[in-house]
Parts: sequence; structure tokens; C-alpha cells
Amino acid sequence: MSDVDFDVVVLGAGPGGYTAAFRAADLGLRVGLVERYPALGGVCLNVGCIPSKALLHTANIIEEAAAMEQHGVSFGQPAVDIDKLRGFKESVVGKLTGGLAGMAKQRKVEVIQGSGSFAGPDELVVKTEGGERKLSFAHAIIAVGSESLELGRMPWGDPRLMDSTGALELEEIPQRLLVIGGGIIGLEMACVYRALGSDITLCELTPTLMPGTDPDLVKPLQRRIGKQYKNIHLETAVVQIDVADDALVAHFEGKHNGKEKFDRVLVAVGRTPNGGKINAAAAGVEVTARGFIPTDKQMRTNVPHIFAIGDVVGQPMLAHKATHEGKVAAEVCAGEKSAFEARVIPSVAYTDPEIAWVGVTESEAKESGQEYGVGRFPLAASGRALGIDRTEGFTKLLFDQATKRIIGAGITGPNAGDLIAECALAIEMGAEAEDIGLTIHPHPTLSESVAMAAEVFEGTVTDLYIPRKK
Amino acid sequence: MSNTIEIKVPDIGDFSNIPVIEVLVSEGDKIDAEAGLVTLESDKATMEVPSPAAGVIRELKLQLDDTVSEGDVVAILEVSGESDEAEEASSSGDGDSVEAVPQSPPQKAAEPVAEESEPPAPSADIEQESPPPAERLSGTAAVDPARVPYASPAIRKFARELGVDLGRVKGSGNKGRIVREDVSAFVKSVMSGAVETGSSSIGGLRLNFPKLPDFDFSRYGGTEKQPLTKIQKISAAHLHRNWIGIPHVTQNDEADITDMEAFRQANAAEAVEQGFKLTPLVFLIKALVAALKKYPTFNSSLDSDGESLILKKYFNVGIAVDTPDGLVVPVLRECERKGIMELAAELGEISARARDKKLTPQDIQGGCISISSLGGIGGTSFTPIINAPEVAILGVSRSKMSPVWDGNEFRPRLMLPLSLSYDHRVIDGAEAARFCRYVASRLEDLRRLTL
Repeated sequence: MSDVDFDVVVLGAGPGGYTAAFRAADLGLRVGLVERYPALGGVCLNVGCIPSKALLHTANIIEEAAAMEQHGVSFGQPAVDIDKLRGFKESVVGKLTGGLAGMAKQRKVEVIQGSGSFAGPDELVVKTEGGERKLSFAHAIIAVGSESLELGRMPWGDPRLMDSTGALELEEIPQRLLVIGGGIIGLEMACVYRALGSDITLCELTPTLMPGTDPDLVKPLQRRIGKQYKNIHLETAVVQIDVADDALVAHFEGKHNGKEKFDRVLVAVGRTPNGGKINAAAAGVEVTARGFIPTDKQMRTNVPHIFAIGDVVGQPMLAHKATHEGKVAAEVCAGEKSAFEARVIPSVAYTDPEIAWVGVTESEAKESGQEYGVGRFPLAASGRALGIDRTEGFTKLLFDQATKRIIGAGITGPNAGDLIAECALAIEMGAEAEDIGLTIHPHPTLSESVAMAAEVFEGTVTDLYIPRKK
Repeated sequence: MSNTIEIKVPDIGDFSNIPVIEVLVSEGDKIDAEAGLVTLESDKATMEVPSPAAGVIRELKLQLDDTVSEGDVVAILEVSGESDEAEEASSSGDGDSVEAVPQSPPQKAAEPVAEESEPPAPSADIEQESPPPAERLSGTAAVDPARVPYASPAIRKFARELGVDLGRVKGSGNKGRIVREDVSAFVKSVMSGAVETGSSSIGGLRLNFPKLPDFDFSRYGGTEKQPLTKIQKISAAHLHRNWIGIPHVTQNDEADITDMEAFRQANAAEAVEQGFKLTPLVFLIKALVAALKKYPTFNSSLDSDGESLILKKYFNVGIAVDTPDGLVVPVLRECERKGIMELAAELGEISARARDKKLTPQDIQGGCISISSLGGIGGTSFTPIINAPEVAILGVSRSKMSPVWDGNEFRPRLMLPLSLSYDHRVIDGAEAARFCRYVASRLEDLRRLTL
């Protein structure tokens, strides 16, 4: 093994890639980490989860401050210094990516900046600033992620037409913003810009927002933004965007028809994997027509010493999935018998209210024919939710009827993304409804709603009155 | 408050996942203590699960064809009149607690268990390391309790490191949750050979037979598919293992049973009066026991580590019985203490139970040596297969009147062919020949049995 440059080369330094590289290094392997951008961390740290959450926090404070007016505390109109806000966001990103670079150094992971592609089953070529560099490896881990899906026939040269990366750059606060795509990313960005003062028009091709999520979870959000946003067009496509000097003109077709002017347009219609961009064929690695790279449970591609992790492997495209997969791949490279065996992967929309779910959705449970039961606890019955004046959401747990073990959970409300972690643990541990209900949850917190939902299923809840069925 | 108890499947020997073949009660039935509730068909035997107390069946937890293991709940009984026994039978006192669904029997033998002794070094030919892991489960399949093992992430990781398929591990935790100790115990039982690994490895031999191709017999004429009975399937596995795994030698001999036959016939009527038949087999049992005492290695088993012999101080003889469902071998116990008539009566009774499928697991355990008698049918000799962990089996063919030279003349003598198969790892040829002669000589002159 001394005749190769690296025991492991990791292609891509997003959350999956750097985790794989660090884990492999900690297991004693010589590791190279190839990243095309100067900063480590990938989409998540640089132009995704982290900067968007910094901005969403700001948006939440603005919304909460405004809401206080009804309770007798007025702050007046917020004065937004967008340069300073952008600076804060960039400082957060900078701290994290700088930390990563430091940790790579401490672990003696060699970071090679440049675009990497395969030259053979044991060799990678990296186009660096100083020219091409060839790297030979015993194992490779492909962690090249995904990128925003671009809609065709759109004026992409115009800076007013943005993808999520552009929207996070926060160049200006447009008066009129059109968001194309009612998925998590579109809704989160709409939240940010609406709080900063934009008028939002949202356009979604399918009949529901956040397709695939249980409709009841989305409803409280839909009701709230229905009042906040200028328009929400469902079952509507934007078929054309004309460039005018003072605006972008969007042409709608579908349930809503017509033309309308916008100062900026954000396209957030999904992400596409980057599997097709690394000359995987040279290594014999199979890539699907859509750009995904199939793997087994140990994250091996069809070429046994080449692994793939993260967005490029398949849905859901989530950082916390990628990091787990990265650890598995690194451990298998080191000869350990690891495998990706998590049963569930939680999903969170950091909208206002937040929506989070894990495990089986109610729609899936219905479709599968599995005998299941539901315990649902409305936040209207939670003292804490009343105190913060956010009672529109609820916590819902799904249980296997025969064993009373939890199989899924969905939460809409403040901090849903934090509350869902308990449900994920409960599912992995095979907890029964009683295990959850009999665990004492602190009062008064929103976390109580999880225990209460379990009690609703058990029929032992006292904070609600539920008439007996018989 | 009425006192309800859970009636559970009792200790049924080393069996699990055995089918319910008969349900004897219905919900609402009033039953007496010891009344049978369901009939289970275990390895070559059937047994009834009795009620520990009198009362009313409130809820029946089993159906026909369910498979059960020790501890599974059969029914909820509302006890009429308190009894200590009833208290003991109730594990939780919680009348309506639901037991976990019995895990389906592990049918697939896909992943070899505990085959690798050391982790493979990272290398390019890593594909040899293990079979490609299955697809990742998602959605309902990933969490459906009927489809995934009841184990936490740490235990799943532990099992994977040891190469254990959790689908084959029985959980000892509450409601069948698999805990760390269950995984360790499973590995131990695999290592000691108590659990079949599904690989064709016998005594360290890796036998890799070419697979017989699938034939389409209907191309050559009409066919009909007849499923094997449970007994046939179980015997097939045992016979196959024993035939491949034990070096068999068969020693053939003959015993002159002219006088024994005369003696037997003279006493046959007396047996019939008492309600049983006096068969030649009983004399064979006595002769065999005498030979076992003389040659103790025949009454032994190889220790599982192959390092020593375990010599037995008891004399239990298994008798192969042909039943409509297949071959079973009930065991007659303490044959050295029992007289000819007592053995004959017991043999009649246990054979009848074997044919009626009423043997209990205990009836077929603990044999020292077996007899397979085809004497009633015909033949001159055959090779019986040793019933491991026993080390020898005596085959008996049909006796025949033959001219025997006594030094002066040919005399008509009734000769009984004996075929002794023995484990050559334990027994030498000369010893086997002596053993056979010894058995024959006891039969030739029954008075020697008293020596």
C-alpha cells in the first residue's frame, strides 16, 4: 500500500466528505481531501444550511418583535443594515470553515484544492491552480454532492434571477420577490426575505406545498403564509421570464395565468446530483442517467474500493445523512465492518412555524396498509405554546397498532426541528407509546407535546378531554 | 377484580417456532385444570399445552398454524378460585399485556454466521470479504416491527461486527427485545454447534457440492408435487449430516436364533394375555444392553471438541419406528433394569404413540444406541445410518431358515442377519466384530444374558 499516494482520497469536502476524511485519518489512514472551492464545508456550510439558518434566526426575531406589538410592547419598524447582516452571516460561515481547515491540518489530512475527476480505477486527476496533479489511491470516497436544478429557457445571465446560493448572498432586499418552488428551500428563503421586507409571491407546480410531507403538517404553515404573502399560486408553472430594465416579467400558466413584474426571482425547484461530472466511467463506477451513484449498505459503489456518500447517492439530500454515510465509508475503508443501518432520517423545514418529521409519514402508513394508530397533541393545549402565542401547530406520533412501538412522528410548531430528535431516538430504540409517555418531560416546555401525543394514543392523557370511543 | 392469568407455552425442549396443529378450546369455554388447550407439533413429537388452573378462557392468543416458542402466550384465563399455581403462571399480573408477534422462523441461510475470525485488511480485493449487503430499507419497511429486529442501534452495530443476523436471535428482554447478551449467547451457541449455520461446514470441512440443476420432469410425463412432512424434513437434515459427517463402517454377522424363537413362541401367549406382543426385538434390546456393558465405547459420544469420549452409565435404546409421516426413534429408558415382558409392554405402548404422533420431546431424547429392524419385511443386510450423537446402530434384517454345518452335518437353523454401523473415529473394526459376535452369542443362548 506504500506505492499509492493515499490510503483514501475523498472527492468533495462537504459535510459528508470532510467527515469521511477526518474519520479515516483518525483510524490511521493517509487521507487526501479534494475540494474545488478554497473553503471546506461544501454547500451546507458555505451556501446552504448554515448561512440560511443565520438569516432565518434574524427573520424570526423580526417576526417575534412585530408580534409583540399585540402584547403591548412596540419596537417600531426594524432598520435593516443589509451589509452588516451579510457580514454577520459571512462571519458565521468563516468561523466554521476556518475551523475545518484547522482540524484537517491537525489530523494531517492533505487538502488539495481543485476539480477532481477519475483517470482510472486507482487514479484521480486534480486540476489545481498550479496545474494538473495525479493522485493514486487504495480507496476513493465520492462526496461530490449536488447543485441547484436550473430551469431551462430562463435568463440566467441576469443577476436578478437567483438560485438559493444567489439568494443567500443577500445583495439587496427586493420589493417584489417571486419564489419558484414550494419546497423546503423556497419556503425558507421566502421566510427570510418576507421578514426583511419583501412582498412574496410563491409559485408551485404541484397542488401542495412541500410535496411528500403529510398535508396536515403543512397546513398551519400554509395558513400563516397565506396571510403574509402577496400570492401563493399552486398548480402553476412559470413558463417564461422576460427581462425588462426595471423588472423581470414572469409568465404564469396553470391554475393561475397571466404576467407579473418582479424585482427578483428565486428558482428553488430542486437539486440535481453531481455524479456525472467526475468522469466516473474511467474508474468503472456506475452513474445513473440522473447523475446518482448507486451504493450498497457499506456505501460501496459497483467498484468495491470506490465508495460514494451524501447527495450523490440519493434522496434525502441532507447533511446529517451524508455525515453518517461518510463515517461508514471511512470505517469500511479501514477494514471495519460498518454499514449504514439507521432506520430513519429526520427532515426539517426551518420555516415559521417549523415543520419536522421522521420515520413513516401518515400518508405512507395509509398506503402500506400497516395497522397503525395516531396520537396527536395540539399546541393549543400547551401552556408554553400559549405563552409564546404560537398555538397553530401540533405534535403527532404514529404507532404500530400491534406492538405499540413508534414508527413515525411529525411536528409543526416552534422548535419542531429540535423536538423531532427525541422521536428519532425513540424509533431507533423501538420505544413503545408508554416508554415515551412515562418518561417525565419538563414542564412547561414544548417537548411535553411529544409525551402528551403518546398519552393521547394510550388514552391516558389528562390535558385534553377525548371522549371514549365506546 | 377477577384474577386473570396468561397461560404460556411451557418448556418444550430445545425447540422454537413450532406450529400449532390443533386448538382444543374456544373463547368463553369453561375448563378444568390440566385440560388441554392447544396441540403443538415439535420435532417428531406432539404435545398438548395444559391449563395450569380451572377457569374460563377469556381470550385465545393463538390460532391454528401459528408458530410458537417457549414463553409465548397461549390464552388469557380467568381463574375460578385462587391458587398459588395460578399466581406463578402469571408473569406480570397484567391480564391484557400483548406479547410480541412470534418471529418468523429463520428460513434463509444467506449470510454465513461467524465465519470470519479476523477482520480483513483493507485491500483492493475487498469484495471477497463479505457478500454484498442488502439494500437499505426505507419508509415503512425500515420501521415495521413485523419486519425489523427489535434491537437498538448499538446492538445492531454489535451484531453486525460479529456477523450475526439479528433475525435469527431470540430476544430475552421485555417483549422479546434483543439485548447485548442475546447476541453473545447466539454466537456462543453457533460456535458450539448448537445452531445450524446454514453453511455446509461439518467438523471444519468446507464441502462445496455442485448444485443439482433444476429439472422439469413434466417434460417426460405426468407429475405431482407432494410436500415433505415436517418429520421427513427434519430427518432429512439429520440423516444427511450424519451420513456425510461420520465415517461409517458396517459390520455384518448372523445370529442363530432357533432356540430364542422357540422360547419366544412358548411365551408369546402369556404376553398377549397381558395385552402386548412379545417380539424378537425385545431380546435384541437385552442382548444389546449386555454388549454395551461389555464394550463401553459403544455406549459413548464424542465430546464436541473432539478431544475426549463421553462414556454413559445408563442404557437407553432407541427404536426406529416407521410411521405414515416418516421415521421416528423413540427411546426406551433404563433397559438394563427392565425384564423382557416389561420391555415388550413398553415397546408396544411407545410404538403405538409414535404412530399416533403422540410422542413428547422427552420420548425421543437420551438414546445410547439405536436399533433399526426391517426383519418383519425382508432383506439380507443393509447399512443403517448412525443416529448421532450415538456412535453405533444395529440393523436387523429378516431371519431365514438356513442349512448350517455343525461339523458333522447340515442342520436347519433360523439365522438372523445383523448389520452394525459404527463410527470409525470411536470404534475399531476388531472391536466391532467382537461386539457383533457378543450380541449374536447372547441371542444364540439366552442363558448367557444372565451371566
